[in-house]
Amino acid sequence: MFLGIDIGSSSSKVALMNDKKELVATAVVNKGTGTDGVHSALEQAFLKAGITKEDVQFSVVTGYGRVTYKDADKQITELTCHAKGVAYLIPGARTIVDIGGQDAKVIKLNEKGEMINFGMNEKCAAGTGRFLEVMARVLGCGLGDLSDLAQKSDKTVSISSVCTVFAESEVISQLATGETPANVARGAHVSVSKRVAGMCNRVGVEPTVVMTGGVALNADMVRCLSNELSSPVTAAPNCQAVGAIGASVAAYETFMARREQ
Amino acid sequence: MSDYKELIAELVAAAETPAKTIKKSMEDTGKKAIGCFPLHIPEEIIYACNYLPVGMWGGKTDLKLCDTYMQSFCCTIMRANLEYGMKGTYNFLSGIVMNAMCDTLKCVCEDWKIAVPQVPIIPVVYAQQRKSEEGIEYMKAEFKRVRHALEKLEGRMVMDRDVENAYEMYEDYRAAMRDFDATCVNYPITMDAYTRHLVIKAGFFMDKAVYKEKIKAITAGLKAQAPEKFDGIRVIATGLLSEPNEVLNIFKENNIAIVGDDLAQESRLWRTPGRDIKGSVWEKMALRMADQRGDCFLYEPDKQRGEMMIEMCKARSAKAVVVFMMKFCDPEEFDYPIYKKELDDAGVPHLYLEVDQMIDSFEQIRTRIQAFAEQF
Amino acid sequence: MEETKLTSKQFLNELTAKHYDGALQAKAEGKPVAWAVSISPQELFETLDMHVVYPENHAAAIGARKEAMKFIDHAEGIGYSADICSYARINMAYTDIPHAEAQDIPLPDVVLCSANICTTVMKWWENLAKKLRVPLVFIDTPFNHTYEVPDHAVEYLRGQFESAIKQLEDFSGKRFDFDKLGEVMKLSNATCQWWKAATDLAQFTPSPLNGFDMFNYMAIMVCMRGNADGHKLFKLWYEELLAKKEAGLGPWSSAEEKYRIMWDGIACWPHLSTTFKTLKKYGINMVTSTYPESWNVRYETNDLTGMARAYTVNYANRNLDFGTDYLKKLVDQFNLDGVLYHSNRSCKLMDFRQYEVRRRVEAMTGIPTTMFDGDQTDPRSFSEAQYETRVQGLVEMMDKRKAAGR
Repeated sequence: MFLGIDIGSSSSKVALMNDKKELVATAVVNKGTGTDGVHSALEQAFLKAGITKEDVQFSVVTGYGRVTYKDADKQITELTCHAKGVAYLIPGARTIVDIGGQDAKVIKLNEKGEMINFGMNEKCAAGTGRFLEVMARVLGCGLGDLSDLAQKSDKTVSISSVCTVFAESEVISQLATGETPANVARGAHVSVSKRVAGMCNRVGVEPTVVMTGGVALNADMVRCLSNELSSPVTAAPNCQAVGAIGASVAAYETFMARREQ
Repeated sequence: MSDYKELIAELVAAAETPAKTIKKSMEDTGKKAIGCFPLHIPEEIIYACNYLPVGMWGGKTDLKLCDTYMQSFCCTIMRANLEYGMKGTYNFLSGIVMNAMCDTLKCVCEDWKIAVPQVPIIPVVYAQQRKSEEGIEYMKAEFKRVRHALEKLEGRMVMDRDVENAYEMYEDYRAAMRDFDATCVNYPITMDAYTRHLVIKAGFFMDKAVYKEKIKAITAGLKAQAPEKFDGIRVIATGLLSEPNEVLNIFKENNIAIVGDDLAQESRLWRTPGRDIKGSVWEKMALRMADQRGDCFLYEPDKQRGEMMIEMCKARSAKAVVVFMMKFCDPEEFDYPIYKKELDDAGVPHLYLEVDQMIDSFEQIRTRIQAFAEQF
Repeated sequence: MEETKLTSKQFLNELTAKHYDGALQAKAEGKPVAWAVSISPQELFETLDMHVVYPENHAAAIGARKEAMKFIDHAEGIGYSADICSYARINMAYTDIPHAEAQDIPLPDVVLCSANICTTVMKWWENLAKKLRVPLVFIDTPFNHTYEVPDHAVEYLRGQFESAIKQLEDFSGKRFDFDKLGEVMKLSNATCQWWKAATDLAQFTPSPLNGFDMFNYMAIMVCMRGNADGHKLFKLWYEELLAKKEAGLGPWSSAEEKYRIMWDGIACWPHLSTTFKTLKKYGINMVTSTYPESWNVRYETNDLTGMARAYTVNYANRNLDFGTDYLKKLVDQFNLDGVLYHSNRSCKLMDFRQYEVRRRVEAMTGIPTTMFDGDQTDPRSFSEAQYETRVQGLVEMMDKRKAAGR
């Protein structure tokens, strides 16, 4: 059995793959690096797969917590893992957009599904999940409610500020002048989409575009990004676990390559 | 022969502790020191005036005092220099020389006069029309104005002959640096990214006459060894400077060696030799600036930087270019889209790292570098 | 319509259209077109009858028309940092997507750069020359860190003017007519004189001039100060303002001028109406800025060295002591109640001296000042709420000072 672990800033993800390269189990726990989240996720995945730790032949860890996690056989970056995960789940995908809590990435794949270029956001929070969290707070709803809310909009409120602090005050004054929360929510999605689209342009977009990460659960966000890119965008299945799935693919490949040597 | 390894270790240690190294250099030579802001500074003139020129390339510090003078969207090297100046860190300097080569430097030049009155400033403004007759005449006059300012500061006269001698010494130093740089290409393990940078950086805190001999000895020591077999990734570095040092250690961890550079703090300072001509030292200095290529702080309508990097990658078997983009550095940021396209067209991959001197967390940079290495 | 009935505003619009149509027409006819920096020695181009377009004017128009983001997004997509000058980002993007609702301009066959406003334009124009593969005529104006301009810098500039003339002759295939240059120099001086006289009328209380109008007229000062049209416009504008002043009229018909302030820095073009209306709401008239003097480029006719000196003494290219003295003079001459500083993300050369200038001007004159964050054309760096709060704060301080009888 091959194990992939993705320890992010706010969640831990685990994937297990068998020796036929079939996905056996995944688990997502909303606790990130520095917590016991990874152990809970491992327990859940082992339980689902009906195996124990001893059945793991090779393991790969990725994500921000990868450097400090010591129990894996190998660590690689989440960029390579997202590339491998998407190539495994959606063969033919050429561009990956991953919007995480702290950063956003765009990864370009070649026809063989190998990463050939990538871009990441700069320090600023605009264009990341953090921006949406701030917007959800101002709108008084949960992060998970943004999508439904935005789909009730009848127009897009323009949020022009790049700075999250400025955007927050911009949104508050728009709500004060009578803009509906739905229209503001849509505005927030368009704003993030524009930032991410800018990043995509720097790397170069080719279809199929696949979105990974928790923000891919936000259907309205996926649609807004698709508009900004003028290209269809597919949300990856099991979008939160793509990095972990990619890590399990890497574990499988590394093990097989070493066995052949 | 292990001498050269000791010398390498000595220079690395010297660069790791600039304050201590400068103090020692001042004691050893009995000279007073003049601070040199980043970019091209006519060090020959400072040296001829019997001062020890020392480099001022910022550093990591809490930025508080400098906020009195500038907004936060200013390059951190300039903010750090002003901060250190205002804190009194530079009080041991007899003065500073600054070249107003970009808009930020022009402002810092003005702010310094008020913010750090205890350390006199000698501004210098190079001609951007470097090659024309009027540009060369202007440069000669400007160099002489700097000499005059230093003469007044020091209270003694400095002859053309003194400047000529200093220029010759600096030419020898620059030749030694070029030889060292070309030699490092074959020793990417001994001269890993971190070591190479610090050995070069040590020169900013030492008397160049002393430093250049150490560099020559290191070069000779390296040449006596067989070229090193290296299975990692060779890259070329470009930008203002390849710091913070933590980043270079991440390169090392990922088996990436810097086998050549186009950095303002490194080879841009010494890659151009003076012309072998009869004229005055002033003319030679002006012509050496006229002959510079691919430097984003110097006017160049045909912008040769991209081509030069592509050439260097070929010549030194480098697989990629690493861009150390100093946040808020306009001249560097303006060049990027131009050479980015040239690198892309030539199929030379590049890694873009946005850096500043105050970075605390290296996780994102680590991820970028590692992911970049995973591509090869 | 008889020409005499034309208002300066109508004439301004006509000239703007004529300027751009002329350039587009020239390009269509296969004649060369140039792009130049705002405070360029236009005397040289005018002498050669060149069609010159000014990207800064164009970018400002795009910003005011609220279509900057289309260009900014493209520029950032091809690698331009969001931290560099937004005029440059818009203009570099325009070379790839050459159409704007605000105004179309022809792409250049030669680009002309004078760096007296900043070193940024040197980098920007290099990129234009490299990208469009066109020749670049460059005038370097060394930064004046001394109060007065050093002689060797003036000599250097004079030499560059001569080199530029040679370069322009080679490019145009025309012989440079120095007699004509003399005429252009004379006319340029006269236009500058009207511009200065018009903007100086704002020294009267109430000011007949609404300072935001100055931002609009400035565009013609950039591109037509060396020709008869420009000369006529600014004379007309002066006469109108004089008549207004004689009639005792203030800047607006719908409100009274209660406070007189200076605006430091470039306008926030995408938020022009917000910035203007907020001030007007409180009765604040922006009566001056550093601009009237920037285009008051004066020298003796036929004195090329004098002209060289005139082009390097621009406010932005001089030291902080000069800048402070200059602002103090404006406070006195224009009887100012306050100063509003625009911390403009695009313009590092203005920004990183602004804090100290502000402190000094406050200390020397005792008038209150405030600062707000914005950008000349990037709409994202401005917050209406912050702006209004700062302006309101300024009003409260100005009131306090007035109540104290100063």
